[in-house]
Amino acid sequence: MKVLLRLLPYIKEHAWAFWGGLLGLAFARFFEAMIPWFIKMGVDNLTEARVGLAANQIDYESALSMLLYPAMGIVICVISQMTVTIISRILVRRIGMYAAYDLRNRIYSHLQLQGPVFFSHYSIGDLMARAINDISLVRQVIAGTSRMTIVLIFTAATGLTFMFMLSWKLALAVLIPMPFITIVAYFYSKQIYAQSHKVQEGFSGLSTFVQENLNGIRTVQAMAQEDEEINRFSSVNEEFADDNLALFTTSSLLGAIMPVLAATATIIIIAYGSYLVNTDDITLGTFAAFFSYLALLLWPVREAGSLVTQWQRGASGTARLFEILDYEPEIQEHVQQDFPNLTGHVSINHLYFQYENKNKYALEDINLEITPGETIAILGRVGSGKSTLLRLFVRLLDPTKGELLLDNHPINGFPLAYLREHVCLVLQDPFLFADSLGDNIAYDNPDRDISEIWQSADAAALRATIEDFPEGLETILGERGVNLSGGQKQRAALARGLIRMTPLLILDDCFSAVDTETEEHILSGLKSIRDGLTTMLVSHRVSTARHADRIVVLEEGRIIETGTHDELLLKGGFYADLEKAQSNTGRLQSQLGREQNKEVN
Amino acid sequence: MAITSKKSARLDHSIFDADIHGQSMNIQYLGRIFSWVKSHRSLALTSIVLVLFASALTVLLPVIIARVVIDNVIMKNPAAELPDFGMNELTSWISEVTSIQPIIAACLLYGLFTVVCHVAYHFHRITFAKTVLYALRDMRKDLFAHMERRPSSFYDKVAVGRVMTRITNDVQALFELLMGLGMLIGEFVPFFIALFIMLAIDVELTLWLLLAIPIFAVVTYFFRQATRKVYRLIRNSVSQLNQNLQENLSGMQVVQLSNRQTRNLEVYNKENLDNRKHEINAIYLETGYGAFMDNIVNLALAVILWIGGGSFLQDAISLGSIILFTQFVDMFIRPIRVLGQQYNILFRAMASAERIFQALDWKEQIIEPKNPFVLPTRIQGKLEFRNLTFGYDPDHPVLTDVSVSIKPGEKLAIVGPTGSGKSTLIKLLGRFYDFPDGTIFLDDIDLNRINSSQVRRRIGVVLQDFHIFSGSILDNIILGNTHISRDQAIEAAKLVSADSFIEALPDKYDTLLVERGQNLSQGQRQLLAFARVLAADPEILILDEATASIDTETEQLIQKALQQIMQDRTSILIAHRLQTIQEADKILVLKDGEVKEFGTHQELLDLKGVYHTLNALQFQSITLKTD
Repeated sequence: MKVLLRLLPYIKEHAWAFWGGLLGLAFARFFEAMIPWFIKMGVDNLTEARVGLAANQIDYESALSMLLYPAMGIVICVISQMTVTIISRILVRRIGMYAAYDLRNRIYSHLQLQGPVFFSHYSIGDLMARAINDISLVRQVIAGTSRMTIVLIFTAATGLTFMFMLSWKLALAVLIPMPFITIVAYFYSKQIYAQSHKVQEGFSGLSTFVQENLNGIRTVQAMAQEDEEINRFSSVNEEFADDNLALFTTSSLLGAIMPVLAATATIIIIAYGSYLVNTDDITLGTFAAFFSYLALLLWPVREAGSLVTQWQRGASGTARLFEILDYEPEIQEHVQQDFPNLTGHVSINHLYFQYENKNKYALEDINLEITPGETIAILGRVGSGKSTLLRLFVRLLDPTKGELLLDNHPINGFPLAYLREHVCLVLQDPFLFADSLGDNIAYDNPDRDISEIWQSADAAALRATIEDFPEGLETILGERGVNLSGGQKQRAALARGLIRMTPLLILDDCFSAVDTETEEHILSGLKSIRDGLTTMLVSHRVSTARHADRIVVLEEGRIIETGTHDELLLKGGFYADLEKAQSNTGRLQSQLGREQNKEVN
Repeated sequence: MAITSKKSARLDHSIFDADIHGQSMNIQYLGRIFSWVKSHRSLALTSIVLVLFASALTVLLPVIIARVVIDNVIMKNPAAELPDFGMNELTSWISEVTSIQPIIAACLLYGLFTVVCHVAYHFHRITFAKTVLYALRDMRKDLFAHMERRPSSFYDKVAVGRVMTRITNDVQALFELLMGLGMLIGEFVPFFIALFIMLAIDVELTLWLLLAIPIFAVVTYFFRQATRKVYRLIRNSVSQLNQNLQENLSGMQVVQLSNRQTRNLEVYNKENLDNRKHEINAIYLETGYGAFMDNIVNLALAVILWIGGGSFLQDAISLGSIILFTQFVDMFIRPIRVLGQQYNILFRAMASAERIFQALDWKEQIIEPKNPFVLPTRIQGKLEFRNLTFGYDPDHPVLTDVSVSIKPGEKLAIVGPTGSGKSTLIKLLGRFYDFPDGTIFLDDIDLNRINSSQVRRRIGVVLQDFHIFSGSILDNIILGNTHISRDQAIEAAKLVSADSFIEALPDKYDTLLVERGQNLSQGQRQLLAFARVLAADPEILILDEATASIDTETEQLIQKALQQIMQDRTSILIAHRLQTIQEADKILVLKDGEVKEFGTHQELLDLKGVYHTLNALQFQSITLKTD
């Protein structure tokens, strides 16, 4: 609950609107409570006028005129209540929206500061849920729950005040069943919340089942398991219907019990009230007005329970939101004023890296010197530390021990933006945005010249692909557009990296879905366009590594071999073995492609 | 047969992607929806009887207060000419029989009516909810079963997400519609009963009050029109915001490595502002309408006091009647508010109904034989393709006149460049498509004379895009097949050497996998696919060898497992790796849908044709590398 205090700044920012709105709502309650008062006055005047008429003391006109005051009173109250309610409700509800807007921006920019450790803790689905559901919960707390709380307190207070003013005896009697109503309502609202949560989960379970099943429909049909799947769906579906029914039963039960409990208060008014009328303790008008005041009182008494759950939900939503907002980005800026220009010179001295929760180093005692203009290939098994090593160069990770120097300056001495502007890492997974192909290639800077885009597309052997699309560079990618093949995606991601012509380019196994021939074509082109610039590339394939000036072999986080292709073959170690194994299981696919090309030529 | 195939090629699958905006009420759709309700009609009937009964009691409750308590007991003026529906008689009868004071009798009557009325309402709501929930549960199941049986040619063209929302969200929209209908009944029945009583008491006053209804209706109509637009804008802007965030999160590393944070935040902020604008517009509309409807109804109290008071002074009605009118005010406005709430739901639901029925009416399917041939428990596994010609679009054949035969237990490797028709050939064998021209024989039986599900039980297919379902490893090997025991599944995993990595997992065979098996490597998934097919123990194995790069060690495990699952089984492999090809009994070289060469490795080498060239190239590249 304490976490809710963290929302105070959002209210403070609009303090006038907030407190003004609440004050307005209090006034609206007063106008509302005045209406039964005028009805009481009307009924009493009616009985009095009736007696007067019967005794011929007054004529019909003047009898009717006795109703003018209460009727006008009602009209004024109704219009005032409406106007005040509209203005103040808008004032308060807007604050909720402003807060939601603010929080969205805040969480968006905060997420952009986070590194891989953070994203391994929180899945995208989880973060999306927080950004969507929890922000709307916060909005609800600020604009709905807090407003309702105040409104209900005022309603109960004015209702009670008027009741006590009219007849303290009857008011006290009416209060008797109220605690029971509150307790029952609270109990049920808790249960309803739990059950509706279950129904929501049931729905998402149902959706997941259908989605998964349809995604795997070919497998299901290939294994002739349609009937089994339909049966499995049937039980998920039935469970969902049953959970729904349970929720409806509970809320319907609450809907039935509440009026019955409320009826006890009505019966108290009927029995005790009519007795008080008979003893002339109260007038008939008061008797009639009590039914209206009872309605005013019952509303907050009934809602109190669900308000408690709403505050609790709001608090847990707020807590989940601030858990993210409080997460310190793992990569911290230590901005130093003077740093050298990056030229692509790298020296790594006794570098170690260890992942959180792992008891083994992912990189151990790495030492490497790279001079500007060199091309270095990094080879190793899955999990040997290749990707980890590369991520250090763009500070997606920071080393645990040892130093990584760029132009003899510690890497964390560069401003992050400067570093990432001059060191380009092309990731293994070619993520493309649902945007145009051209915008994807010029992703780092949308203002780039079109000729630059074509140049890098050429370098990544992507020109023919682009020209195949009728829309060319304007082709929209993704679900609502064109889906590229794995190889095309990798080449597009490569073009996105190449366009930047950074002094240090790092390619993390980004040819895995590109056929050997295209790969060789791209690599030989790379040599000329990146003449004098440093390039590092990771691969599983010996055919890729051959192009490098030097090859570094990693094994369990350590460098076990370094040298040129020929040197390493002569050495007869890991690299030589790999070369032999890969020749045997070499791909026929690309050979077939080559053979076909020959025929075409 | 040729005609049907042409017809299916002309089907326009794009309707599944089209956005449907419900325009109006469609009685036909409602009728169809009710066909699912029919099987629960006794529940529905009970529900309606209960609501009529309960509504009558609800309306009588204020009558007890006004006519019995106020007019009779307090004012001592029974005003017998005004209707009381026998409440006064009932009260005096109770007080006579039990010899209690009339006021206590009235209280008892009030209490009793309240309890009975709300018990009836409760059972009405439950029976109604049951009717709706059961009807839509059945509909959802029918829809799922229908979609589950659509052929590959359907799923080639339609996005899975579109089908999914029909089964989930669209049925849910109908649920809201029908439940809303129930609420309307619950509001309108008491409204009409109250109206009847009011007319019986004072026609003039009732008519004055009825004037409010067209005003409310018009205001509600314009409000709903306005909000429809605003809500659509909000929905669009929210989904834009969510898409932006989702994409930014998915591509976060690219964003960070390209220094795009500031720019992306600017774009997001713009969308966020846009959303805020629409949301605040909605707040204006909702607040204005809500407060208007909530408060304006109280003006009726002034009207009742003024006009009703006049009648009272002229002795036309009793004081109790005036109070009765004030109690009915609420019943007047609620039906209109509820009707207003249902307005938007109605449009959404009609669009949903259209989508659902569109899907249910989509009859595309594989043609099954009328008198299917029943296969023996174990077949030999002899296969023959004879003059097979096929195209997804009849004008562009993918396979032309393919004739090949394979003896039981033989291994056939199919090689050929992308688009040569390799995958199509095996899809036809699995009866995923109808093929009008040519024949496939399975143990000399025409494949089209066997039920497709029968065929698929005999043919195990390992596809390239291997799908993992969320569930345990074991579930993924068994895949719902009741004939496979746990031990058999584990045995299968051992045979394909998948057990070494499975045993290393925290819960071994019971380790839960997420969808698409992101917690498994590509090689491990391949091994699991082998285990799955081995456990199903088909007579014929089809394998589309994965092309993705796998580290050399796993590669070797896979090759070993491959030997294991092909043993004693007729096997067809779409092969990419030289080793796999060389170990096959026969090799089929496909190009542009035609058989180029067919024979053993040695025979094809001797032919000195396409295959020979391929081999020569391959050997050449190895010598080059070892230099």
